[in-house]
Amino acid sequence: MSVEPVRGFGFSAQRRWFADLLDSDIVYSFWQSKVTVVAALVTLIIVLGAALAPWVAPHDPFDLKTLSLLDSHLPPVWQKGGDARFLLGTDDQGRDILSTILYGSRLSLAVGLMSVAFAAALGIALGLIAGYAGGAVDTLIMRAADVQLTFPAILIALLIDGTAHALFGQYTTDSVTIWVLVLAIGLSFWVQYARTVRGMTFVEKNKDYVLAAHLIGIRPSLILARHILPNVIGPVLVIVTINLALAIILEATLSFLGVGLPPTQPSLGTMIRIGNNFLFAGEWWIAIFPGFTLAALALSVNLLGDWLRDALNPKLR
Amino acid sequence: MNGPVLSVRRLRVEFPRRRGTLVAVDDVSFDIARGEVLGVVGESGAGKTLTGNAVIGLLEPPGRIGGGDIRLDGLRIDNLSAEAMRHIRGKRIGMVFQDPLTSLNPLFRIGEQIVETIETHTNLRGAAARRRAIALLGEVGLPAAETRIDGYPHQFSGGMRQRVVVALALAADPELIIADEPTTALDVSVQAQIISLLKRLCHERGTAIMLITHDMGVIAEAADRVAVMYAGRIVEIGAVRDVISRPQHPYSVGLMGSIPKLDSDRDRLVQISGSMPRLTSIPPGCPFHPRCPRVFEPCARLRPELMAHAQSQVACWLYDKAPAAEAAQ
Amino acid sequence: MTAAPLVGVDNLSRVFDVSRPWLDRVTENLPRQHLVAAANVTFSIKRRETFGLVGESGSGKSTVARMVVGLIPPSGGNVVFDGQSMTDRAQRAGRQKIRRRIQMVFQDPYASLDPRWRAFDIVAEPIRAFALADSRSAARARVGELLRLVGLDPVDGAKYPHEFSGGQRQRIAIARALASQPDFIACDEPTSALDVSVQAQVLNLMRDLQDRLGLTYLLISHNLAVVRHMASSVGVMYLGRIVEIAPSKELFRNPCHPYTRMLLAAVPQLDAALPKREPVEGEVPNPLDPPKGCPFHPRCAHANARCRAELPRLIERGSSAVSCHAVEEGRI
Repeated sequence: MSVEPVRGFGFSAQRRWFADLLDSDIVYSFWQSKVTVVAALVTLIIVLGAALAPWVAPHDPFDLKTLSLLDSHLPPVWQKGGDARFLLGTDDQGRDILSTILYGSRLSLAVGLMSVAFAAALGIALGLIAGYAGGAVDTLIMRAADVQLTFPAILIALLIDGTAHALFGQYTTDSVTIWVLVLAIGLSFWVQYARTVRGMTFVEKNKDYVLAAHLIGIRPSLILARHILPNVIGPVLVIVTINLALAIILEATLSFLGVGLPPTQPSLGTMIRIGNNFLFAGEWWIAIFPGFTLAALALSVNLLGDWLRDALNPKLR
Repeated sequence: MNGPVLSVRRLRVEFPRRRGTLVAVDDVSFDIARGEVLGVVGESGAGKTLTGNAVIGLLEPPGRIGGGDIRLDGLRIDNLSAEAMRHIRGKRIGMVFQDPLTSLNPLFRIGEQIVETIETHTNLRGAAARRRAIALLGEVGLPAAETRIDGYPHQFSGGMRQRVVVALALAADPELIIADEPTTALDVSVQAQIISLLKRLCHERGTAIMLITHDMGVIAEAADRVAVMYAGRIVEIGAVRDVISRPQHPYSVGLMGSIPKLDSDRDRLVQISGSMPRLTSIPPGCPFHPRCPRVFEPCARLRPELMAHAQSQVACWLYDKAPAAEAAQ
Repeated sequence: MTAAPLVGVDNLSRVFDVSRPWLDRVTENLPRQHLVAAANVTFSIKRRETFGLVGESGSGKSTVARMVVGLIPPSGGNVVFDGQSMTDRAQRAGRQKIRRRIQMVFQDPYASLDPRWRAFDIVAEPIRAFALADSRSAARARVGELLRLVGLDPVDGAKYPHEFSGGQRQRIAIARALASQPDFIACDEPTSALDVSVQAQVLNLMRDLQDRLGLTYLLISHNLAVVRHMASSVGVMYLGRIVEIAPSKELFRNPCHPYTRMLLAAVPQLDAALPKREPVEGEVPNPLDPPKGCPFHPRCAHANARCRAELPRLIERGSSAVSCHAVEEGRI
C-alpha cells in the first residue's frame, strides 16, 4: 500500500483558517454594529498612542531637565494664554498634559493588562484544579473564593497594597510599586475566572474524549493542559475584556487615593489626583483631559467585551 | 367531516440567511385521514421534525413557512395569528415530544398540568376536570391514578412520564396528534408499551396521528401509511406493508436493506455510500442522485414529483411513464 | 478447540457510593446509599470473536465495559487480559504494555473527539503516547494510512471534528482506536447515535476491520438487531447481573430467561406479521432500590416464592448459561 504524507497543514491550512475567520459570522456582526467599531477605533488609538509614546509625544514629561516651572499652569492652546508647544496645557510642574496622558496611558494599560493576565492565570489554574480534582480540593478552593467575594475588590487591593507599603515601605524603589499593584489588583479579580473555568471543567472532564485520553494513559496534568484547557477558555476571553476595564479603573482609583503609582511615574489616575487639587482654581485641564481619556478607554474596552460576549453567544444569533 | 383531518399542500419551510435562503422542507404534500396513523420517517436532516413544527405553528425563527398551505379539517391554519393558533394547539392538535423530562413542568404536579389543559380547552372546571384527568390517566395505563395524580414528574419513571404526556395530549380530545420521536428516549420494553397505547387510543377515539421518527420498526408496528423523507422532500409515500416489503424508491430500498434484522443471518448490511446532503449543498434535480445506484440521465437535471406506482407514490424518474424519461433511456 | 480466551471477566462487581454529602446526612439523619451497578458478572471472550452485551438502562453494561478496559477500578472480582490480571495490584507495572492492546470506541460521536484538535492530532495521540512512530513524518504516514483504512481521505486530517458528519466522526474514533494496534476494542453503543444508513456503513466497516486485522470486540448495545448482526456470543444483563449467556444464534432462536424472551418480544419488528411471544410488563426498577431475590420477579409471569426470596445463580447448560429459578426447576 502506497503511503502518502498527510497534506493540508502548515501555511495553506493557516491561510484557509484566516480566510474562514474573516468571512465568519463573528466578524460580520462586528462590522454590523457601529458602536463596536467606534469602540474598537478608540481603543486602538489610545493603545497605539500609549505604545508609541516615546515617538509620538511632543515632550518627555519624565525628563526633569526639560521641565521648567515657567511653563507651568498653562491652559490649552485654544484658550487665552495657551502655548502652541503644549497643546492641552501643562500641570503644576510644567509637564505637558498631552505627553503625560500618552505616557500615563502606557502605565495604566500596562498595569491593567498585567494584573488581568495574573488574575486570569491564577484563576484558570485554580479553576482547572478545583474542577478536575473535585472533593476536598474543590471545596477548599471554592470556599476561599467565596470568602474573597465577600470583600469588594478595592478593599482587597488596599489591604495588599497597604500591607506591602507598611512592610517594605522604606526599602522599595518605585519600580517595585508596580508589581505590588499588579499583585493587588490581580488577587482581587481571580475568583470570576476560577468559578467559570471550574464549572466548565466539571462538564468537560466526563466527556468521552477525556476518557479516551485516560484510556491511553495520558497524565492528568497533560489532559488538563492539552484537552480541557482549550475547551474551557472561550468564556474567559469575554471576562478578560470586561475585567481589563475594571482593572484600569481600579488602578486609577488606587492611584487617586495615593496608594497606587508614585507621582514620578504618573498614570492617568495619579494625574487626576494631581489635577483634582487645581479644579477649583479654574485649571480644569489638568484633571479633565486625563479623566476623559480614562473614561474613553474603560468604556471602549467594556463595549468591545459586550460585543464579544454577544457574538460568541449562539442563542442570540 | 368526510375529508382528511390534516391536509398539507406544497409546504415549504425556509431559513433566510445573510447569504441566501436555505430551504429545509421543499414542496411537501400529504393527507392524514380520520383515525389514521401516518408515519413520517427519515434520517436526521431530512426535515421531518420541521414539517411537524410547521403544522403546529412552532417553527423557531428565523425559520418560517415560505409557501404552501396546511388545512385542519378544511380550515387553513398556516396563516393564523399567534393567538388563534394558540387556541387550535392543545384543543384540536395535541403534541407528544421525545423527552418526557422536558415536556412536563417539573415544578407542577402532573394533575395540575392535566387539569390546566382541560380547563383551558373544555368547559369542565374544578372537580369535574379532576375526574376527567383521573379517567385519562387510567386510560393511558397509569396504575393507581387517583393517588398518583398528585405526584411530581420526577417521581415517575420514564415510561410513566411519557404516558402522562400522552394523557396531556389527549386531554382536550383533539382530532390530530403530532408525535415527534415519542419512544426514542425510552427503553425497548417500554417503547413497545407506548406504541401499543398510542395505537389503541387512536383507534378508540378516531384520532389521527402524525408519527415522526427515524425508527422503521416503530413505524412498522404503529403506522398505517408511511412517508419517507429525504433532504426536505417526500420520496415515497404509501401503505406501510407496501413500502416496507416492496420499497420502490432507491433510497427506500437502501434504507430497508441497511436495517439489521433479528431473524436474519449475519450477512453484510446494504450500504448507501455518502450521506444526506447539508442544507447548503442540496444537489440539483433529484437530491438523491449522487448516491443513487440506479441513477440515469434525467436525474441530475430534473426534479421528480410524486407519481403513482403500484399502490404507492414515488418521486423517481425510474417510474415515470412520460416520454421525457423514456426518450432519455 | 479450546484456545485460552483473550479476555476473561470473573465475578466482577462495582458499587458506587451515591450518598448525600456528609453535612446533609448528619443534619437529616440519612443512611449511606450505595448503587450496585454490576454484581457477579462472569464471561469470557475468545480471540477474533465479538461478544455482545445487551440490556436496557440500568443494566450496568456500560459500567462493565469500562471496568474491562480499565477506566474504572472494580469493587470486586477480576479482569484477565491475555493471561495477565488487570486488577491485581502486584502486576501494575506491566499494565502500560497492556494498555496499548486495549482500546474503546464511545457512543457519542459529538463528545468523543476533542473539538479543538484536528483529526490528524486526534488519531496521532495514541501513536505518540505509545511511541509507535520514530519521527513526525512516520506518524503522519501512519495517520494517513489509518484514515484511509476507515474510509476517509488523508487530507481530511486537517479538519476539525465539527466539519465532519456523525458517521465520519465515528470513523475517526475508530481510526484513533486502531492507532495503537490493539488486539481488543470495547465498543460502547458505537452506532446508537447514528442514522440507520450510516449505522450500516459503520457496522460493515467494523466487520471488515475485524476480518483484516484479527480484532476482538466487546460490543455493548441496547439494539438487539445490531447485536444479532455483529456478535457470535451474547450476554443479557438486567439490573447489574447477567441473566443469560449463549451463542448468538441460540439466544435469538431459543431464549431461555423470561427477561430475554420479553426483550425479544418487545423489539419492534419490521415484519409485524410475526406473532408476539410474551406481553411486556412493567419497567426496569430503580437500581437504588432493587427488588429482593431475583431482580426480575416483579415483572415475571413465572415468579414463585423462591424467586421473591433467593437470588438465582448463573447455571451452565451446554454452551449457554441462565440465571433463573424457573429454568433450573424445569418450570419453563
